[in-house]
Amino acid sequence: MLGELGTSSLTVGLLCATLTALLWLRVALFGAPTRPARLATAATLATAAVACGVLEAALLRHDFSVRFVAENGGRRVPLYYTVTSLWSALDGSLLLWLLVLAGYAVLLAGRRHPPRLQAYAMVVVSAVTVFFFALSCFAASPFRAVDPVPPDGPGPNPLLQQHPAMGVHPPLLYVGYIGLVVPFAFALAAPLAGREGRSWLRVARPWTLVAWAALTAGIGLGAWWSYAVLGWGGYWAWDPVENASLLPWLTATAFLHTALGPGARRAGWNLVLACASFVLVLLGTFLTRSGAVASVHAFTESPLGPMLLGFVLLAVVASTILTGWRTPELAGRTASPVLSRNTAVLVNGVLLVTIAAVVLIGTIFPLLSGPLGGVRTSVGPGYYHRTALPLAIVVLLAMGVTPALRVGDRTQALRRLAVPGAVALATVAVVGLLSRPGLPALSAFGTAAFVLTGLAGQLPDRLRRSGRGRLAGLVAHAGIALVAVGVAGSSAYGRDAERTLRTGETLRVADVSVRLVGVDRRGDSGMAVRARLRLSESGDAERAVTPALRYHPARDTAVTVPAIDTGLLRDTYVTLIAVSPDDGSATLRLAVNPLVGLLWAGGALTAAGGLGSALATARRRRRVGTPREGAQPASVAVRAGAAG
Amino acid sequence: MRWRPAAGTLVLVALLAAAAAGLARSAAGAGQDDPVRSVTADLRCPACQGESVADSRSPIAAAMRQAVADQVAQGHSRDEVRRWFVQRYGPDVLADPPARGVELLLWAVPALTLLAAGYAARRTLRPRPRRTDDLPAAPPADGPPPGGAARRAWRWSALGLITVVVSVAVAARGLDRPRPDPAPADPVAVAVGLARDLEAQDRYDAAAQMYREALRDRPDDTIRLRLAFALLRAGDATGAGQAAQEVLSHAPDSPDGLLVLGLAQRRTRPAEAPRTLRRFLTVAPEHPAAPEITRLLAAA
Repeated sequence: MLGELGTSSLTVGLLCATLTALLWLRVALFGAPTRPARLATAATLATAAVACGVLEAALLRHDFSVRFVAENGGRRVPLYYTVTSLWSALDGSLLLWLLVLAGYAVLLAGRRHPPRLQAYAMVVVSAVTVFFFALSCFAASPFRAVDPVPPDGPGPNPLLQQHPAMGVHPPLLYVGYIGLVVPFAFALAAPLAGREGRSWLRVARPWTLVAWAALTAGIGLGAWWSYAVLGWGGYWAWDPVENASLLPWLTATAFLHTALGPGARRAGWNLVLACASFVLVLLGTFLTRSGAVASVHAFTESPLGPMLLGFVLLAVVASTILTGWRTPELAGRTASPVLSRNTAVLVNGVLLVTIAAVVLIGTIFPLLSGPLGGVRTSVGPGYYHRTALPLAIVVLLAMGVTPALRVGDRTQALRRLAVPGAVALATVAVVGLLSRPGLPALSAFGTAAFVLTGLAGQLPDRLRRSGRGRLAGLVAHAGIALVAVGVAGSSAYGRDAERTLRTGETLRVADVSVRLVGVDRRGDSGMAVRARLRLSESGDAERAVTPALRYHPARDTAVTVPAIDTGLLRDTYVTLIAVSPDDGSATLRLAVNPLVGLLWAGGALTAAGGLGSALATARRRRRVGTPREGAQPASVAVRAGAAG
Repeated sequence: MRWRPAAGTLVLVALLAAAAAGLARSAAGAGQDDPVRSVTADLRCPACQGESVADSRSPIAAAMRQAVADQVAQGHSRDEVRRWFVQRYGPDVLADPPARGVELLLWAVPALTLLAAGYAARRTLRPRPRRTDDLPAAPPADGPPPGGAARRAWRWSALGLITVVVSVAVAARGLDRPRPDPAPADPVAVAVGLARDLEAQDRYDAAAQMYREALRDRPDDTIRLRLAFALLRAGDATGAGQAAQEVLSHAPDSPDGLLVLGLAQRRTRPAEAPRTLRRFLTVAPEHPAAPEITRLLAAA
């Protein structure tokens, strides 16, 4: 029953999406009234919502006649993880993708933007929606019937049943990913919409900020999940799935900066970066959802690869043709001084694009090397450490220098940079002499000190001026600098040890020690083994910690549940790796990870800054006031706008 | 006020010197952490995807960590240990194989991107003065395009949209339906499968490790025989002999057991080998290895 309802909602959705695209095309081409198109947009959202609701209901009612539930549901799965299993495998997550995409379409259709620009942008968004509905309908329908109906299912991947972030991380990441369709749509619409097209940057930037903030938060939560669940004590493994989320983030960050200020001067950059961000989203989806690149947490392997790749190519071709066709002419054809914000923004753009190239080639290298005659191997973290990290430090440096270039007067700029520079050098001297973090971490500390001091110096000035968006930008930049400190600190000062302990023995790392008290087995849902440990830090009173190993028979995997003790300056992280058959000894890994907290704090600040900036931009726009269109047909509005 | 620039310079010089000292000390000290960790971080775990031996929790990575620790304890330098692993397992055991051939792409693509983006930035900063096209070639169209063009655009776009849907539908027919997950995999079977893969890559040491893992969970003679073969190929005749002997203690007439034992004895106790191999020939004259053994015995 539910399965049929779901299938028909997908079919109706495909029809609605196609109708939406055609109606918006009529609005754009013939100036037809927008009302039917808006209604169709809303109807598409409704069908996506129904499809998601039906699958959620099937999961909650354990309706194992529905294929997705048979493969990913389970009677023993806790309620929360039953709800989140909607996005724990490809087909269901595609429904969430559709819901978010249709939601963006409705929001975009509801705003008052220049009418033709909006109509063309809506055509692009709807065309993307049509493709994903078709994919969900024909190739990856979660609603296919299963015969015979199994009595129980295996539940979602055990790694996805361990951390509450599972409920927030994928939806946020999707809001970020899919939000980048909006700047993409505007970039494609700009050359088509004639004179209105010139305003595309102003219109697209707040949308991009929202998507970027969500993407930042999503990446941060993903790192947190990986830290708390995967049990190796790290948060970033340069894994294809992680890289796929980083790629659009990098180009979107570059876009947010090139779109600032007199953005028309950098028209080519804006168009290319806006298109590249969404194309990278699609490419990332292809890489991680098709099984093309093996990954620790690419949970799905599916045959959608060729179709997704085809759509990536289509997007590339469409954006090349449309943006190359009629590039809006450049304003201000004068050379700007070498030391200017314009230069800094472009340097930042060049570096971010190069980092994106590093991450992209590193991620797809295993795909290329086989056909080109090499050995099919994945690229290890060492490669990224030698390429992306130095570039990232230079980006950080550029971030610190840029605000000083406001006036364009060289001596003024130098005077502004004097204090941050001195603090940076002092930091390098003190940290380098007191501890030995190694060159990369030391330069990251110095640069972060440079940036943070510079930002602190700007704080009074920015508080005095009314623009709240400026403060938001400052917060976002401070967040990035904090993340840099967290990354450098945790990789330079992290210490760990691994040993097999008999009961009563002690494992020591720095001033932290754990003593094995005993091993418990609990047989109820299987097979959980816990190591009872006493942990003491620098001779303080002992605390009990219990890392565990959980065996999930339905999927035949054992999952480690690390015990993490979060402190202000450092975490202690204990993983149970193995237990001897007689329970007399356990293999443990004890790690002390300093400054990891800064990562999460910095990530949260960055995302909050992005969101604040988006809100401030929107509020400013509302204060200035956009001409209200009223209910008149778009064509009339266009004429009126052109006349006035 | 003449002292101010001088004081400023003095502070700057002092800060620079201190920072340089900090950098120098930090760079010199960077290598003094745990040598086992630094070597294993550079080794790729052969049984995992993209994880280093230092971070992986798989048994084979644990075995490799142990091997590194042993060698470091014997006083070998990091480079010696690394070279030992490369000799044994090939350059792919390194997480970052030296750049050559296709791997140059990893450096060429970012370098070209940097150049291209830098060039584009330069163009944006210093635009060439325009001569012929000072005026935009065609003033941007305003209002909807004229009727004929709009209708054509409409027809083509609608057709394109429908083509996308139809091609997805057609392509989807050619796909394998995603299969439901296969029955839960048996960890022993996985270990044996991994070991076979390793054997196919001529990495007999690592294969033997995996067979030992499998044996710990399931003491099975077939696996023990495979272990014996792997040990024999890895050059550990004593270990191979022991494993074969264990099999023979359960099944005295196991042809494979006799075969491995005989081959191992050729290296450890050459006097006993012919007798064992002859027994192998009597037990299994049809065995695929029988002709080869006959030849060996004849040559001896």
